[in-house]
Amino acid sequence: MAREHLEELPGSPASAAGTERPLVHGLTAPGRFSRRRLLELGAPALGLGLADVLRLRAEANPAPAAGGTGAKRHRAVIVFWTHGGMSQQDTVDLKPEAPSEYRGNYRPIDTVVPGVQVTEKWPRIARVMDRLSVVRSVQHENGIHAPSAHWMQTGVFGPTLARNAPQKPSFGSVIARTLGAGAPQMPPYVAIPKAEAFGYQGGVYLGAAYNPFEVNADPNSKEFRVPNLALPKGLEVESVQSRARLLKKFDTLRRDVDASGVLAGLDTFKTQALDMVTGEAVKKAFDLSTESDSLRDRYGRHLYGQSALLARRLVEAGSTCVTINTGYWDHHDNIYTGLEEQLVPLDHAMATLVEDLDDRGMLDDVVIYSAGEFGRTPLINGHAGRDHWSNCFSVILGGGGLAGGRLVGASEPWGGKVRERPTTPQDVLATLYHALGIPLDTHFNDASGRPTSIVGAGQPIHELG
Amino acid sequence: MRMRTVMRTKPGVVGLAAWLLAALVPVSRVPAGERADDRVAFSTDVVPVLTRLGCNGGGCHGKSTGQNGFRLSLLGYEPEFDHEALVGDDRGRRLLAASPESSLLLQKAVGSVPHGGGRRTVPGSESYQILERWMQQGMPGPRPDDPTVVALEVSPRQALFAADQSTQALQVTARLSDGRVQDVTRLAVYQSNDPEIAEVSETGEVRRQGRSGQMAVMVRYGDHVSLFEGTIPFRTPDARRLAELGESSAAVAGGEETGVARIDRLVARQWARLGVEPSPLTEEAEFVRRVTLDICGTLPTVAEVQAYVQDASPDKKRRLVDSLLARPEYARFFGQKWADILQNRGRGYSTSRQRPGTALFSAWIRDCFARNLPYDQFVTSILTASGSQETNPATVWYRTVRTTENYVESFSQAFLGVRVQCAQCHHHPAERWSQGDYYGLAAVFGRVGRKGGFADAEVPTSETIYLADHGEVKHPRTGEVLAPRPLGGEAFPISKYVDPRVSLARWLTDPANPQLARTMANRMWAHFLGRGVIHPVDDSRSTNPPSNPELLDALTHEFQQSGYDIQQLIRLICLSRAYGLSSLPTDGNRGDLQSYARFYPRRLSAEVLLDAISQVVEVPTAFSAGGAAFPEGTRAIDLPDEAVPSNFLDVFGRPARSSACECERVDSPALGQMLELVSSAEIQEKLANPQGLPQRLAKSPASQSERVRELFVTLFARSPSTEELATASEFLEGNTDPAEAYRSLVWSLLATNEFLFNH
Repeated sequence: MAREHLEELPGSPASAAGTERPLVHGLTAPGRFSRRRLLELGAPALGLGLADVLRLRAEANPAPAAGGTGAKRHRAVIVFWTHGGMSQQDTVDLKPEAPSEYRGNYRPIDTVVPGVQVTEKWPRIARVMDRLSVVRSVQHENGIHAPSAHWMQTGVFGPTLARNAPQKPSFGSVIARTLGAGAPQMPPYVAIPKAEAFGYQGGVYLGAAYNPFEVNADPNSKEFRVPNLALPKGLEVESVQSRARLLKKFDTLRRDVDASGVLAGLDTFKTQALDMVTGEAVKKAFDLSTESDSLRDRYGRHLYGQSALLARRLVEAGSTCVTINTGYWDHHDNIYTGLEEQLVPLDHAMATLVEDLDDRGMLDDVVIYSAGEFGRTPLINGHAGRDHWSNCFSVILGGGGLAGGRLVGASEPWGGKVRERPTTPQDVLATLYHALGIPLDTHFNDASGRPTSIVGAGQPIHELG
Repeated sequence: MRMRTVMRTKPGVVGLAAWLLAALVPVSRVPAGERADDRVAFSTDVVPVLTRLGCNGGGCHGKSTGQNGFRLSLLGYEPEFDHEALVGDDRGRRLLAASPESSLLLQKAVGSVPHGGGRRTVPGSESYQILERWMQQGMPGPRPDDPTVVALEVSPRQALFAADQSTQALQVTARLSDGRVQDVTRLAVYQSNDPEIAEVSETGEVRRQGRSGQMAVMVRYGDHVSLFEGTIPFRTPDARRLAELGESSAAVAGGEETGVARIDRLVARQWARLGVEPSPLTEEAEFVRRVTLDICGTLPTVAEVQAYVQDASPDKKRRLVDSLLARPEYARFFGQKWADILQNRGRGYSTSRQRPGTALFSAWIRDCFARNLPYDQFVTSILTASGSQETNPATVWYRTVRTTENYVESFSQAFLGVRVQCAQCHHHPAERWSQGDYYGLAAVFGRVGRKGGFADAEVPTSETIYLADHGEVKHPRTGEVLAPRPLGGEAFPISKYVDPRVSLARWLTDPANPQLARTMANRMWAHFLGRGVIHPVDDSRSTNPPSNPELLDALTHEFQQSGYDIQQLIRLICLSRAYGLSSLPTDGNRGDLQSYARFYPRRLSAEVLLDAISQVVEVPTAFSAGGAAFPEGTRAIDLPDEAVPSNFLDVFGRPARSSACECERVDSPALGQMLELVSSAEIQEKLANPQGLPQRLAKSPASQSERVRELFVTLFARSPSTEELATASEFLEGNTDPAEAYRSLVWSLLATNEFLFNH
């Protein structure tokens, strides 16, 4: 959808702005025509999906990446998780007409989509709003971090203050379980820099195999290396290779002693782990140094920017859900001090990701999703902050065939409650799953053996279809 | 025949209105006594059809939000609700008495109008006719004088398939309260518990598939379930051998046969019945490794293996088991297992004073195992605990489990092996448990009070658990105040002065009630044999039959007779023949997954594996939590709770202790596990530690082959083969850096399945 929409608007402000955007291989092209330019240059053609890119990669470099991607499109999602609760009223649902204690400090600015405005802190996102939509009427019924995070991550309320253990698998785990990875050696579900602290991004009864692979390092740091992927001090690749050769000779326990599949699985993962560490494919996916400096600069030299770039590289290599945990947005005090630090990097990261995916012909296969456990109160409190607000808040969705440039639902004039089209966390997840091609009637058995739906009553947001 | 369509009515009024219509306006109801069987009764005729056609399943209209605006009660447990839902259709087309074939209900069912659920039946089928007749009769709702199903019977109840037999037809009859017996074979719903062994058709025909073994078919009709058990032998059972082994446990039970001999006979009887040949007994060294891992969660040392192998005395097996039970590692290992089951959580409370309580409870559990506290007393101490964590650490269970619902569910799962969760919201779909049972049990815990504690960041902790004077629990649907009542037992008297928890503990430990002993016996059998007689161990229900009921009865009986002596139960299991078998399948038992004809290997659990690596590499793991280090030499099986940080333990499936289910400890393989072995700093640092085994071997004056031999016995409890010795020697000699060579050699042995598994 995003693509058709985009093609209809050749003279839109984005190209009028005329930014020369650096592309891969040092090419530059005016943003809007980048793909065409690439086509002329023989690069992956318009209409090539991520699976095709993967397949081409695999063919060009048959050793590691060859595998079952076939003609099936590899779909993926990249998540900006704004833990703590980002303020909707200072970002994508501004209330310029409201009194100042509601309105806040920021003015809205126009975007490439007429009638759609975002915060003045997001000029770059404003230029790609034709490819992103905002749902302004998400709501649930809890105002505390842990249960709310569970609600948004899994679709249901579950933990309480008294018992805060995760009870349902996160959407990332569901996606990893249902879709797997697009290339056998890649982890299907990755968290950058690590999983959120409550444990609600895990697999719970789907099994630890569907917990996110945690990068456990800051992609923006100079010495960025992934523990357990980069070799620890004192261990050379040659040693691992000779260990692998020895292991082959000694690992002779008869395979038929175990009929449960555990042994066979371990065999697979042993090979995969050794390949990851000694081979080039996965390391390359995690190696940001092969990206041009100009692209890295555009993403931004900060945690958000380099994480988004890494996320793109990972889905390109075959990961299916990459969640970027963007730190803490719990601005009870002096909200504008906090937002000043976080909004600009997020602007760079998200906008560049949209452009970059689009340039590579991947945007139709990769969903971009930005959300936290809730939003923030419309009224600024006595400490110049905003508090928890789950009665009506916003999430951002785009790519993966979802319509861009749309506003779905509405809040009351000064913020507050939902005015139009209440949307549940399960609706949001249903939208994600639907875009990724996961059947909505999928069920998994929980620990008591009860078949449990992945979306419950959730319905895809049809306005984005 | 009276014709009408149902009027638009508000939900809630509909039920009454329909009932009045049905009751006051006699439609085609025949006078009582005459052709009574012609009248379609809603609860016993219509609802089973909705169940059979899958309309009210949890994936469809039966889920709590319904499907496309049409909602039924899950599996038809609330007929009144279903009747309202059906007749309350606001378009008036769902049901049509005048022309049932044009009703949406039947058109959707046969797929003649678009239906998300597809075609469920065909015109003229028995199900179709029942719905048709019911509409013609004016869609009567459930009525007080409707007959109810009192029993559901499957014939045959069991079958042993002959060698050339590929199918077995089932016949299902429902006995109604008015004395009638109905053949409901074509109206019942069938489900096979192991489709690899046998499938079952919609008409109740059981058809064998590729594998041999035991399977069961759950039969559902209305709110009743029943069971067929099928046995598909590997080879024709040996009648003579079966006769030798006795037809039933009762045949020999009265005699002098006790203990291990009886267990062995009952297991062998099952082999004979299935036509399975057991694998031979395993090597002695492998047995030492196996039993030390299973009792102590610890690898045997080279000396321990050698001492056992060289011991020539006939009772050495028993003495080995006794010596293991006397070691502190036994109490630590089983203490940790029970801290898992009792959900002794540390996570989420790092800033509070919960952690000391968690540690106190862990230590208390460990002590119970160390002094071999009889299991009935162990359970009673937990259930009836009052006081603070300092005066009575067992109270921590009431703090960590915390809510009435969780008490019900954790209690049932941990001590009765029953998953009762379903019954919180609806009748258990595969058992007899109702919401009344669930909330009756909840009433036992209704008066558990908590006071005091430190109201810090999130949770008030260090609370005192006490018995409150009041705390009634109501049935969520009827609002009736329920008397405290155990699952399947009589209600306890309500008195301010009687702690219903004490009544529950008495009921639980009553010699006439084997459920507690049975659940524990099964749990322990599963711990050692890799699979429960009831599997999974905490999913005991009439529709999940034990694979060898006599064996489970015998284990239960022995455990009760011993006074709930856990160590005695372990002796019994570890000395049994089945536990001593080789894990290598033979042509006589390939494909066996249930009868213990060979030892079923499993991966070492997270803590045991980490400790095993530390032990063989001779470098302990340093644990710390909350900024403080645990004493040097603390092992993973000593850790008090699940929140002590360790990536290794997390990726290898340490349970989160959020439920009483043993399934929380996952052994499913994951990429992260192998990355942890291949390239984690933790493992590499252990291997590179100057005090570690590789460095010691590199500097050792012993000959190359002696050193390799030591390595193999340390890791595998066996000597290397000639070929392995050659491979290792060649590798070591071809390497200029001996320390690095030994690190690689040790690693490559640690990563083998032979090391990772108990086999």
